[in-house]
Amino acid sequence: MTPLAEFGFFRLLQRNLTNRSYRNIAAIFAYAIIAATLFSSQFLINGAQQSLDAGISRMGADILVVPEEYAAAGQNVILIGQPNSFFFEDLGFEKISRIPGVAKASPQIYIATLFASCCAAPVQMIAIDQENDFTVSPWLKNNPGVTMGKDDIIIGSSIVQIVGNDLMFYGHTFHVVGVLERTGMGIDNSVFTRFEDAYVMADESELKAVKKLTIPPGMVSAVLVKVDPGASPAEVAREIREQVPGTKTITPNGLLNAVSGQIGAVTRILYGATVAVTIVAIPLLGFISAMVAHERMREVSILRALGAKKAFVIRLMLAESFTLAIFGGIIGITAAGCFLVFFQDFIAFTLKIPFIIPSFQTVLVDGVSTLLLSIGIGGVSSLYPAILITRSEPYETIRKGES
Amino acid sequence: MIKISGLTKSYGTNTSEVRAVDDAYLDVKQGEFILILGRSGSGKSTFLGMLAGLIRPTKGVVRFGGVDISNLSEDKIADLRAKKIGFVFQFSGLIPTITALENVMLPTLFCRDGPGCRSRAVDLLKKVGMSDRAEAYPRTLSSGEMKRVAIARALINEPPLLIADEPTGDLDVDTEYEIMELFRQLNREGTTIVMVTHNPDLVPYATRTYGMNRGKLAEHTGSGAFRTGMKGQTVHQESMDLP
Repeated sequence: MTPLAEFGFFRLLQRNLTNRSYRNIAAIFAYAIIAATLFSSQFLINGAQQSLDAGISRMGADILVVPEEYAAAGQNVILIGQPNSFFFEDLGFEKISRIPGVAKASPQIYIATLFASCCAAPVQMIAIDQENDFTVSPWLKNNPGVTMGKDDIIIGSSIVQIVGNDLMFYGHTFHVVGVLERTGMGIDNSVFTRFEDAYVMADESELKAVKKLTIPPGMVSAVLVKVDPGASPAEVAREIREQVPGTKTITPNGLLNAVSGQIGAVTRILYGATVAVTIVAIPLLGFISAMVAHERMREVSILRALGAKKAFVIRLMLAESFTLAIFGGIIGITAAGCFLVFFQDFIAFTLKIPFIIPSFQTVLVDGVSTLLLSIGIGGVSSLYPAILITRSEPYETIRKGES
Repeated sequence: MIKISGLTKSYGTNTSEVRAVDDAYLDVKQGEFILILGRSGSGKSTFLGMLAGLIRPTKGVVRFGGVDISNLSEDKIADLRAKKIGFVFQFSGLIPTITALENVMLPTLFCRDGPGCRSRAVDLLKKVGMSDRAEAYPRTLSSGEMKRVAIARALINEPPLLIADEPTGDLDVDTEYEIMELFRQLNREGTTIVMVTHNPDLVPYATRTYGMNRGKLAEHTGSGAFRTGMKGQTVHQESMDLP
């Protein structure tokens, strides 16, 4: 005889779970769906918020000033990197710089590229004024040894190129000198160049490119503003709108609200799906538990005839349910996590939201809370059938089973 | 060891009451082999259920070692069953998801201070001739093999009393003989046995035989006579309608 493990509660639990595979697989599948839906909701929301934080931090601006009619386009450039070209008079920049509360202002020119060798679709080219810039400059400071000279570009993380490669836009060749960290926002799909190089590229485009690029002299697309410490970005923004007519100001809070609106719609769908799945799952799992309880009534009666107390039977049934919920939860969370990681770009593009993988701590909190909810659902759905089964007359049940 | 007096179990309302067990008296002494003979529906299984504390009597007292179990809480009765009573059902009553050896060890989960251990379970399987099937699952065992495992399981906590409810009801003659010989051996080793059956051929195995008809329990006194109730009224076998 081969040596056998000691027999205890957990051995009985394990045997009951492994030797009733069909119904247990069904229960695990139900728990996995609940967990995947809930985890996806939390993961997406946190990913979008952390992406927004990272993107705003990278932009380094408290206020973005854009032409009024291009407010939505400006927002899309920042949020999702949807390529666009628009301009307004540079005079605005001079005025903005002098408004009280403005510590620093930096003009940028947004150019939607044509199809380029690097990319399957046009990308957003952002020309910066190196003298006043605070978007790329801090990154350059943190990466000593990287300088941005003539025809040098720094690219976002979603542009699949490496440092040292050459890229051609409007027939002009640029040299990649840096790749920014992923933010999940529009910056990831953007290429940063200098004002001077952008103007040269535009001048050459008539001869070198299939389509001429025009950058109206003295005009910019946006002005990024950093406010003085202690100054209210909202107040400064109001002042800018008053003093520079025809402009629209976008603040991080405004961006957050805009994204929240977009995320909110997605979130409502996901939370709605979670609530619906949970509402359906509890009675469904309860029904499965009740069926199993009915099927096992004789078995439970035998346990009680052998000396098992009611508490033991309830503990056994709940433990089975919790174990299934944990397995289902882990499978659901893992599957949802893998899907979201592998398809993060597709998800962000489809839902039109900024998105990065949330931090490890956030994912951990999301995972644990999802798992706890699955376990809670397991407990709720199996408790009543477990109590019900112990109310039967054990000997009557055994005798009925024998007849 | 066990003293039962005035034990009654009735079902239904006051207007249509059915007495499954009607005013039964029984004294069981240590080392006895009591056989209760009765037709199907005579009330013998209900009687056994009350003896084991699995069915609450409507009236009467079951004293086990001087303790009235009729008034004990469910948990205390469960403790008593785990420690003092071994149960063998008509059909094996083995748990299908665990092996034969694990089935034998199962009652040790409910009897923490009992002798339950693997080596004893292995010894018991050897005793009932099942040591080579220890790792088999119930679905792979024959009826006779399952019954042997069930008997081993009933003995794992070394209970002083073994209760058997039609233990040979589903067995062929040869297997029935083997199982009854096993019960006889256990009784000779000191285990008290109370068994109900509808098979009169098993009477020779018992030290005392009772008949049960329509809830009435009566002791067989020999020569076709039965003594019933507290006052010991004698009735003839024909009126007992035994199998």
